[in-house]
Amino acid sequence: MSQTWLISGPPGCGKTSWILTTIRSHPGSCGYLRLSGLSEDGLEQGHDAGIDLAWLKDQCPQLQDLSKPDQQCADRIDDQLNLIELQQYRPPAHPGVDEIDPRISNQLKALQLQPDRALHFGREPELPEQDTLEFNRLEAWSVSLHDSVWDPNSLSSFWFELVNGAYGDVYRAKALMNLPDGRAFFCNWIVSQQGSQFLPLEVVEPPTGRPNRASELVVQGKALDGMGMQSTINDCLLSDAVLDMHQAPLREQQPDLSQAKR
Amino acid sequence: MAHAVISCLHANLAAVEAVLADIDQQGINTITCLGDLVGYGPQPNEVVELMRQRAIPTCQGCWDEDIIDGLNACECSYPSQLAERRGHLAHQWTDAEMTAENKRFLASLPTSLRRDKLLFVHGSPNSQHEYLLPDMNAFAALERVETAGAETLFCGHTHQPYVRELRGGSIRVRVQHNDSSSSEEQDMTLPMRRIVNAGSVGEPRHGNTQATYVIHDEATNDLTIREVSYDVAKTCQAIIDAGLPEVFAWRLSHGFEYAERADDASHVCER
Repeated sequence: MSQTWLISGPPGCGKTSWILTTIRSHPGSCGYLRLSGLSEDGLEQGHDAGIDLAWLKDQCPQLQDLSKPDQQCADRIDDQLNLIELQQYRPPAHPGVDEIDPRISNQLKALQLQPDRALHFGREPELPEQDTLEFNRLEAWSVSLHDSVWDPNSLSSFWFELVNGAYGDVYRAKALMNLPDGRAFFCNWIVSQQGSQFLPLEVVEPPTGRPNRASELVVQGKALDGMGMQSTINDCLLSDAVLDMHQAPLREQQPDLSQAKR
Repeated sequence: MAHAVISCLHANLAAVEAVLADIDQQGINTITCLGDLVGYGPQPNEVVELMRQRAIPTCQGCWDEDIIDGLNACECSYPSQLAERRGHLAHQWTDAEMTAENKRFLASLPTSLRRDKLLFVHGSPNSQHEYLLPDMNAFAALERVETAGAETLFCGHTHQPYVRELRGGSIRVRVQHNDSSSSEEQDMTLPMRRIVNAGSVGEPRHGNTQATYVIHDEATNDLTIREVSYDVAKTCQAIIDAGLPEVFAWRLSHGFEYAERADDASHVCER
């Protein structure tokens, strides 16, 4: 019997990490969907653009993407656990699936998904709560970094400035960032934590040009300086010529790639 | 007689004024400046003119040199692409802002100053761009002081003030005579030498935002590292008003460098 759970909570509370742990411990197959949350009064939703899905798929390659119609039949596989992630600032008035916001229910119905459980961070004791914060006002800023490759030391400087307040009061930042050697990192920070997480993806792209994977930066906080962030990011990203300079020695070490420059 | 040594002013007028006031208050009349009057900060002309007006003996720093010679340092002196872009932006802004007269003054500065056994340089006796870090190999550090013929070497450039005593240094030399197969070894004990880093007036990087400089009492040979508070917010506002990147103001207000320190601190640019 398949199960579908709706996992909701405010930004940075640990939804994706909890989902990853749950997927890893589930003996059967798993599906995943991240819903566009609902902005509330003064509380803006961050644009995810597939960061969480890309991270989870990298860690669990068999994970089914429930947003794709051709995978919806997987919902009927026995023992499949479908996990639906939703950024939701405030818990529903009462627990249970009947209290799901109708706008969310309608999104799920369109995908033929009917939750069996609805778990909200900060309310359900089985969910960790150390990073579950209450927000009164939150802006969001995001930028697509598709095709972008970072100078590694520049990324380090930018992230340091970002999470230490150079571009506004940042409470939450997450990103998937590509490096010239083909690696990518899931960068994760919440104001309640001392440091940032920099988790390498399992899949390493060949050093033959720009990687073709989801890459995005999402920032939430107050008085965010989007222009400042964009300007610094522009100074951190590698041009084609510099990227090739980084990758050429790596291709030399892998003879089968030396002719494969894109 | 006590004298003061200041370094790395970086066009931060409020910090320079506060440090000079602190020196004056202690009745010290002899001041030596180790360069980097300009770069990153918002008041390059004002700082140069103040140093000229006070007739403070000054040696040329790496930023002063770059403003005169152009940006021809090799790329590897920057730790990241971001630092390089910011450095170039600050260079272009400073270059456009400075008067010809003040540039001529920077061009006229010597690379070192000497007073008896005291040697004053920006980076090291070898180059304005070389960093003498406090944890530099002791033999290499001693070599810098000894070959320059100094007992005490005053430097800046790292923005981290320190006093390092190099004692107990010795060199073993094996002498092979031409007319014989014999050789003899000689141990040469080197006298104590000191490296004194004055830190930075205009761009501190020692853990807080206070400007630093050094006082040396020539009678007692005592050295004191002074920290001076100044109106950081005033300089930050001047950075923004000048149209320099706001992140420079943010970094200064947190005690970070405007850009980032070099990855390979011992690197000397090949020009």
